Amino acid sequence: MSRIEKLIPKLKEIVGETNLIQDPEKLKACSVDGKRPKVVVFPGTIAEVSKVVAYANEQSLTILPMGNGTKMGIGTIPGKMDVVLSTLRLNRMTDCDCDNLTLSAESGITLGEVQKKLGQEGKGYFLPLDPPHTLKATLGGIVATNSSGPGRLIYGTARDLIIGIKAVFPNGDIVASGGKTVKNVSGYDMCKLLIGSYGTLGILCEITFKLLPLPEREATLLLPFVRLEEAAQFGREILQSQYLPSSIEILNGMAVKKINPPIAQQGNYLVAIGLEGVAESIERQVSEIGERAKKKSALEIAVLRSESHSSFWKAIRDFSEGLAEEGLNFISFKSNILISRCGEVMGSYEKIAKESGVDCGLICHSGNGILYSYVFGGKGVRSKKESLLNLIREFSLVAVKNEGHPVVESAPPDIKKRIDVWGEPRGDYEIMRRLKKEIDPKGILNPGRFAGGI
Amino acid sequence: MERERMVEELSKIVGKENVLSSETDLFLYGYDASLFKAKPDCILFPGSTEEVSQIVKFCHREHIPVIARGSGTNLSGGTIPTRGGIILHFSRMNKILEIDIENQRAVVEPGLFTLALKNQLARYGFVYQPDPASEKVSTFGGNFAENSGGPHCLKYGVTTNHILGAEVVLPDGEVIQVGGKALDNPGYDLTGLLVGSEGTLGIATQLTLRIMPKSEAVKTMLAIYNSLEDAGRTVSAIIADGIVPATLEILDKLTIKAVEESVHAGFPLDAEAVLLIEIDGLKDGMERLAERIMEICRKNNAREVKSAKTEAERTQLWAGRKGAFGALSRLRPNYLVCDGTVPRTKLPEVLVQVMEVSKKYGLTIANVFHAGDGNLHPLILFDERDEEELRKVHLAGSEIMKLCADAGGTISGEHGIGTEKMKEMFFIFSPQDIAAMRKVKKAFDPEDICNPGKILPEVQA
Repeated sequence: MSRIEKLIPKLKEIVGETNLIQDPEKLKACSVDGKRPKVVVFPGTIAEVSKVVAYANEQSLTILPMGNGTKMGIGTIPGKMDVVLSTLRLNRMTDCDCDNLTLSAESGITLGEVQKKLGQEGKGYFLPLDPPHTLKATLGGIVATNSSGPGRLIYGTARDLIIGIKAVFPNGDIVASGGKTVKNVSGYDMCKLLIGSYGTLGILCEITFKLLPLPEREATLLLPFVRLEEAAQFGREILQSQYLPSSIEILNGMAVKKINPPIAQQGNYLVAIGLEGVAESIERQVSEIGERAKKKSALEIAVLRSESHSSFWKAIRDFSEGLAEEGLNFISFKSNILISRCGEVMGSYEKIAKESGVDCGLICHSGNGILYSYVFGGKGVRSKKESLLNLIREFSLVAVKNEGHPVVESAPPDIKKRIDVWGEPRGDYEIMRRLKKEIDPKGILNPGRFAGGI
Repeated sequence: MERERMVEELSKIVGKENVLSSETDLFLYGYDASLFKAKPDCILFPGSTEEVSQIVKFCHREHIPVIARGSGTNLSGGTIPTRGGIILHFSRMNKILEIDIENQRAVVEPGLFTLALKNQLARYGFVYQPDPASEKVSTFGGNFAENSGGPHCLKYGVTTNHILGAEVVLPDGEVIQVGGKALDNPGYDLTGLLVGSEGTLGIATQLTLRIMPKSEAVKTMLAIYNSLEDAGRTVSAIIADGIVPATLEILDKLTIKAVEESVHAGFPLDAEAVLLIEIDGLKDGMERLAERIMEICRKNNAREVKSAKTEAERTQLWAGRKGAFGALSRLRPNYLVCDGTVPRTKLPEVLVQVMEVSKKYGLTIANVFHAGDGNLHPLILFDERDEEELRKVHLAGSEIMKLCADAGGTISGEHGIGTEKMKEMFFIFSPQDIAAMRKVKKAFDPEDICNPGKILPEVQA
């Protein structure tokens, strides 16, 4: 009997016989970078999470928290992988206080389900986050990875929207920070520390968000340009104006082809401007921004509303799912860069991809300086390992030059093995390691997968 | 270490002319805008990050506390040298290092006054959103340490939402850069952790801020009430209607009277409360939104709702709000501002409870606060020379924090814990919560050099 098998009875006692998976075939579904955990547990309450973690800590078992697994590919290949702690049974909305414009919910519920329920409350509300994996992403996964989408331009990201987190720390303590007030400076802002900490400091169990009422009206302007510089320049012009778009996306021709939006001029650079808000202001922005685009040589001005508006933004969010459905092998990057340099960086990335003989889809939250790149070349991804490694290095150099850090969000394991997926080390990693050491001295939570070797 | 030798050593780092150590100086830098006092060993005025780093290294080596401060406008005793040590005053590091319009960022030194940056940004049609009432003198270092709020934080968020990076001197003197101009750097969000840490984890020597284009249009309204509770009820109703204006500020009768006697904002003296409302954004649809808000005010018994017709009228209304603390301080020698914050739905009932506390202790309490955030500011007026009154003030202050906590709220919305509210941390946090925060402190500052004895109460094992 292996050591872990001896520990299973206790885990079963905590979560219940039926809420634990040991069957090797079923464990396959929870594998990360080709590695399988030894056991998956499904605690149903925060108290159970606390007990599982405390026990794992005592026994020095490593824990990888997981929701629906949409982000598990991000990070270094796991080393020791004992227990996967699934949050999927923690799936309740615990305090939906729309009159206070706040929601508390457990980490295993999907954002899709939350949005559906909020939409039916009173006059209709929403949680203003629009990250990838529209239907599958759970709140826990979104927050643990600080996942965001095009709407961050106007609504911000998790750090702007979260006002409280209840998490289980590595010693099993249930630690609450923040609360349900929109302002709070009582003690350290532990929420900020946990957001984007990739499950390395605590298991997120319950999260409190600020809400907003559903916008009165929504529309999208699709503005194709022949040249990248024109598209980027136009995006900057709108960003620096007093207009208040909810998103300013720039897509390259390859990304446009994959998304296939309802415009005549496919294959060019596309500026997509999302508008949400008061009816009068939407109509004025549709017409004025459209006029401006015409003067700046946009090839056409397409306006999307209702169904076509929502499906366009869903396709942007779920771009990587689309590629996966096509059966394409791809490497994806998230690069954070100066907002004024989005155009240049996109141009450099296209050039580097071309020289490496691969296709490259680019989607940029240009108002925030966040660029997602997807490199694919059919079977090529596997056979062109060396040139892809070179491409990763070159992407990295370009991003660093523009004050950013590219993170490889997904890649085949044999590529991941050869690189640091988190990019060049930063000067603040040492203090991060000290934090990790103080909070998780035994290194049981998602060890070795995060930036700086954390 | 002997004080004389300490002063001598430190003079070598910053220069003699940048050290103060006379008894008068020690008294003058031993207090802030709170009720607390203590005596530092000396006061230094560093001129560069390198000097700050050397000073902190010295303190680390000699186990001397170091407390960074700016104008001392914090209301929680955050800059009180409770264990003595060195006050680092940032008045010499007060420059705007860069205004980067195309990347929508500004880089500033910690001693810069908030308003000084805003005045420069106005030339470009840009704004830095947080607007602490003390912005004329509040410094960015202080805003960073305290995570300051302000009236416009309802819509735009507080300081933490607008600081994207910092150069920080760690408690061992090492200099690191956290965050930066680009968003979403890999690793933990140390910037977010450091903002609001009240100088206990490190000392910021440069800050990278988010700036944005000024709104196209703004509309300021004033609703007048015969009952404070109705004003509170209006705020709950506006939020419940899904409207998030830029500002929702309430001033009660006592505040109105004080304000009218000093800044003459034009508030009616016979009103029990006024609600200052501001919306901003694109001009389209603004009138319709304003009408919706005014309708909610009327439904909640506002006796009159008017809007500022000119920029001068708007400025006058704001002068009334921003001058409120100052105006109130003319009534009695001292005031204690409570900072309890509650869910917005709880405002009317908590306001009633606050007034009951006032009656119970026979203390005068004025209310002027960020109602839209649920952030109360009951100001207890008193004379600290009257020991019995002072005792009651502390009891009343603590009781108000308790009732905010019990309403599902918190003990501080924007002023911080400092030395003032450590005891009350247990109103909202369990020993486990505090223990987790202690680990953070220990990771950054195992020797307890930076602003020791603040925020975290001792936890019984």
